[in-house]
Amino acid sequence: MEVRHLKIMLAGAAVVALAAGTAWGEAADPIKVGFVTELTGPWSFSGSSCEAGMRLAEARINGAGGVLKRPLKFLVVDNQTNPTQAVAAARSLDTQEKVLLLSGPTSSDNALAMYGYAEQNQLPFLVPVAAFPQLTKPGTQWTFRLEPDAVGWGYAIAKFIEQKKPGAKVALMYSDFALMRAIAAGVKYQAPLSKLSVSAEIIFPQGSSDATIQATQVRASNPDFIVPIGAGGFDNTIANQLLDLGFKPDQIIHPFGFTTNIIGWGKRSVGSYFGTFFDANLDTVTPEGREFIKDFQAKFNRPPSYIENFCYTTAYVIKEAIEKAGTADRAKFRDALRALKTKEGTSNVPIEFDKNGARKEYIYYMQLTDMDVAKKEYKAKKAFYLEWAPEVIPVYDLVK
Amino acid sequence: MAMDPNLLVGISMVTTGLVLGAIFALTAAGVTIVYGCIWLPNAASGQLFLLAPLVLWSFTIGFGIEPVLAALLVLAAGLPLAYLVERLLIRRFYDVPDRNISYFVITLGITQILSGIFSLTWGRWSDQYNVPPLAAGVTFIGPFPLPTNRILALGCALTLLAALFLALRYHRFGRALRAVFQNREAAALRGVDVRRVYLGSFLLGTSVIFAGGLLYSMAYSFDLSVAWSMGIAAFAIMIVGGPGSVLGALVVGMLFGFVQAVVSVFASPTVATLSYLLAMLLILLLRPSGLFAR
Repeated sequence: MEVRHLKIMLAGAAVVALAAGTAWGEAADPIKVGFVTELTGPWSFSGSSCEAGMRLAEARINGAGGVLKRPLKFLVVDNQTNPTQAVAAARSLDTQEKVLLLSGPTSSDNALAMYGYAEQNQLPFLVPVAAFPQLTKPGTQWTFRLEPDAVGWGYAIAKFIEQKKPGAKVALMYSDFALMRAIAAGVKYQAPLSKLSVSAEIIFPQGSSDATIQATQVRASNPDFIVPIGAGGFDNTIANQLLDLGFKPDQIIHPFGFTTNIIGWGKRSVGSYFGTFFDANLDTVTPEGREFIKDFQAKFNRPPSYIENFCYTTAYVIKEAIEKAGTADRAKFRDALRALKTKEGTSNVPIEFDKNGARKEYIYYMQLTDMDVAKKEYKAKKAFYLEWAPEVIPVYDLVK
Repeated sequence: MAMDPNLLVGISMVTTGLVLGAIFALTAAGVTIVYGCIWLPNAASGQLFLLAPLVLWSFTIGFGIEPVLAALLVLAAGLPLAYLVERLLIRRFYDVPDRNISYFVITLGITQILSGIFSLTWGRWSDQYNVPPLAAGVTFIGPFPLPTNRILALGCALTLLAALFLALRYHRFGRALRAVFQNREAAALRGVDVRRVYLGSFLLGTSVIFAGGLLYSMAYSFDLSVAWSMGIAAFAIMIVGGPGSVLGALVVGMLFGFVQAVVSVFASPTVATLSYLLAMLLILLLRPSGLFAR
């Protein structure tokens, strides 16, 4: 009897220990996200900013108990701004680390390379910042994108100019990158529909550093507005050469602006416009957004911009989709993302995806009102806001 | 002031050709001095060209050093760096037959190492490389506003080129260097310390390439890709001008700068970046040993 009793007790203890062990194991077992981004190479300014925003969210989410009582762990891998490296990293994270999903790229070229892998291997892929339209082309099943597509930005620029000056003449100057070509395609498509004309279009090869001659050619075409889109420091060169030639700042509309490049334009650019999806100067920033800005500024000595915000928001979108799926299963997570209807915690802008994974689109145009280059601070006010459906113009046909 | 569009474009073409040509010429002169003397085809010249503005940018933006002082510090720092490279690597091959191939492979390796270092270190700020101007504002050339800083860069480049030309022609070291250019053995028999001249030419050539990089960053914005484009341009100028010919580097550098500016006006910036390479092929078809071959 005593022996039998002892056996029962031991068996009971074993069951309890096993159960406890399983529970602990689950609690300690993180949900892994493969975060493949640009930490070195020409796009590293963007990837590093993205990682910084994501890390703030990761710390907050895990500090508040994680997801489904498990930590959310971002495995960050550098893709060296190289599509081949991006795919190699995606494969390794999929097969070795068994991540729930992929995320992280901020360059369209790298995101497109990972898109192929994700779609083929049925691996959810949430792109935080990459705007080339084909990332959510019709038939896309596993890829979702937080950033509005770049052809749509071009559409929005034309709508903004139409509202500012009906019948205006617009000049385009841009570096020959996929992102810039997409923006220009949107402007050119929408311009006649908005009764605008394109007075000059100048394309610079990658690595350009001077626009003196082209700025004078644009001057000769006598446009009302100029849309300059230089890559990296070249953006500052174009902006300053236009100002040297007598263009007024409020004739210059930068399709996008993030903190470092806005500061790079310099104080003389005060009065010019830039497009953005999040800005510390917006009235619509929520208390959570204010906290994010404060924490980011304390850590990196500059306010965050839309890149950091999209990557911060990406972590929260992942959290919410996992909670809705109730499990870390890839297919269920994908379905939860597809059905998600939520808002950005930092700005209350709605987040929902269409059947191809494209987000309902929006953009702010801000006007620079002041700048302190030394302190890396600027002031801007909202000049225009627009929301639109992803396929308001044929975005997937305009650029391939 | 009313501005005639054609006049504006014309002046912008001339000034662009001048500034770009002078910087091309200066950088190619640095490359050709080293090649002519040591027989070292420096594949890392583009990376050295880029190193100077990157360090200048860090000194001015990162440490807040005044731009003129920072530029002088960068030039001064280039000398011990070049000395170290010559001591550790270059001089080991002085007596190796066909050392130009060894040098080319070594400098290719240096190129890869430096580009990896740049990518890992400065890469994350690649959207912010704008060096504060040494001279702010614009200067009007007729109706055309040209940044004063760019005029200063042009002035410095032309002064350096003139000084280089005069030094090679009239200074004792310059004469010794030209003697080694022409015949190493004969120069040695006439009492020239050939190894010393090798060291001097490497220091001089590297400093001139550094100066080219500094002036480029005064005139233009830049990114990491400028190392490749300038490295190729400097080689092309050296080959067309005649390897070892500083006069060739000067003439062809200016020619390439103007070709790029003119093509930029009448075709597009993309065609312009290829134009000087096409010009190189054409000239070499007519004069395979270069325009100023020794």
